[in-house]
Amino acid sequence: METMNNYNGTILVVDLNAQTCSTEELTPDMIEQGLGGAGINMLLYEQYKDREPIILGSGLLTATFAPAACCGVMTAKSPITGTIAHVPFGWQTGVEMKLTGFDFVVIGGTSPKPVRLWLHDGLSDLNDAADIWGKDVWESVDKIREAYGDEMVQMLVIGQAGEQKRTLAQVCENYWSSKDKAGLGAVFGAKNLKAVALRGLGSLEVAEGFFQKCVELKNQIVSGTIKGKAGLYDIGTALGIDAGVLEKIKSMTHRNDAAYNCPYPYYTFLKYNESPSAMDMKGHAEPGCLVSDLAGFAALAAAGLEPAQALERCCRLGLEPAGAAAALKKQGAKDIASLDKLAAEGAAEGLAVWTVAAEQQQAIAGITKAFSFAVPPRAVFGQDGGPQWWVQRQAEAYLLGIDPVIMLMAPELSDEKLAELVALCSDWEDFTADTLKKIAEDLIAKSK
Amino acid sequence: MALKVDALKCTGCRICEFACNYHHDTTISPIGSSIMFYFEEKKNYYGLMVKRDKSLLLGRPEGEKVLLPGEQIEGAGASAKPILLRVACDLCKDEDSGPVCVQACPYDVLSVEGA
Repeated sequence: METMNNYNGTILVVDLNAQTCSTEELTPDMIEQGLGGAGINMLLYEQYKDREPIILGSGLLTATFAPAACCGVMTAKSPITGTIAHVPFGWQTGVEMKLTGFDFVVIGGTSPKPVRLWLHDGLSDLNDAADIWGKDVWESVDKIREAYGDEMVQMLVIGQAGEQKRTLAQVCENYWSSKDKAGLGAVFGAKNLKAVALRGLGSLEVAEGFFQKCVELKNQIVSGTIKGKAGLYDIGTALGIDAGVLEKIKSMTHRNDAAYNCPYPYYTFLKYNESPSAMDMKGHAEPGCLVSDLAGFAALAAAGLEPAQALERCCRLGLEPAGAAAALKKQGAKDIASLDKLAAEGAAEGLAVWTVAAEQQQAIAGITKAFSFAVPPRAVFGQDGGPQWWVQRQAEAYLLGIDPVIMLMAPELSDEKLAELVALCSDWEDFTADTLKKIAEDLIAKSK
Repeated sequence: MALKVDALKCTGCRICEFACNYHHDTTISPIGSSIMFYFEEKKNYYGLMVKRDKSLLLGRPEGEKVLLPGEQIEGAGASAKPILLRVACDLCKDEDSGPVCVQACPYDVLSVEGA
């Protein structure tokens, strides 16, 4: 097995108590056992359990030419469920981390003062974060990019909700809401960790024939069930989200964006401070908000708030939108300013729920609560395979670093095709769909 | 013949950059490509620029623009500056299936003009 051509071979271990960073080797044994992403995160979690770690891991295929290979995965104990949570981070953050030279990052202990972790070009620095502690997510991202002199620095970052260790907090991806529905923002806050900033200019090897194989698979996907569809509007229509909510999305849609190498663009940018059709770079400095969390957006609308503006406020405060919406609904509060109060003193009441497919979400939670409900609790355009299928698809996504939403809409990314890609790019001849299924089952069993 | 960018079809997935680097250098990396994504994230303003032999193509959402040496223009962020040091697009002349960026793009953003 030559899996190292998909990995740099390096694990970073950050001890926040001692304010030190050290490295360990990522061994072929670990890859054989855990494959990647959440699977290896679990091995590291067990190893460093006494430090109450949060682990950031890249998938085996992350940053490769495999379609939708955009994700990394955070693993920690969720302050909401009290059990293990795996949270995918995509957009450009997952790819950026692998290209920093660190495949896995174990962050253990508690920093005596607010810090940010800066990973770039195989180097790691713990920097003082006094200048951004207390600042909202948007201001923090701006300041960090300014400090490092590069607007392409990618970030996992918390706002005031995380600093206050609220279980409603989430770790944001740059300026935007993320797939963190497990309260990991509070875990960052409890560690005095404001942000992990990433800039990766490294390189990974590519196996012979891998590029062409990935192009063929991408071509099958774009001419399959997703053909002619784009954005959150089409996803919401397929799921049966309230028509009024979808009309709001449609009326404000500027462009539909995609995470790294994703064949479906489900990050929809809404403009409400200027015309959605404005395409030039002049105009409003902050014209709107990027939305990928359809559940959060719909929940804010159902709670009676103007969802786009409320979502922007959640992003700034680092609040999980669906949980925040549920809390406001209970209070009967319909003003955006109430979100600030939640960031200071609110608490999550269980995992946030979708306004559709609630029964299936409940059935999935009965199997495991470890995977993020930021993604729809059922297949998006094609045939749904039920709760067990959903869990299996997500586990495979979290191992390989494939976007978990794309996994629910592209049946072309079959176990067989994924296993073929793993075997080819890793020169892992006896890796089959059964191997993938078995490692995914192990991950599901361990993720309690 | 030259590479053409239909910027409004672009979703910012960046696979063209990585495919191009692979063509030049056989690795996965964003640093050696002739095509480069630029992004003003809070404005969701983005496009692609292509280093050509004697010019720079700006595939901007408000329309294409060719820049000659010494010319400056608004619409390409500071993140785009390193492209001036990059190797020029050779249209992947040694690849049987044509430019790898065109092959890799899921959104038909790229094409070869005058082919």
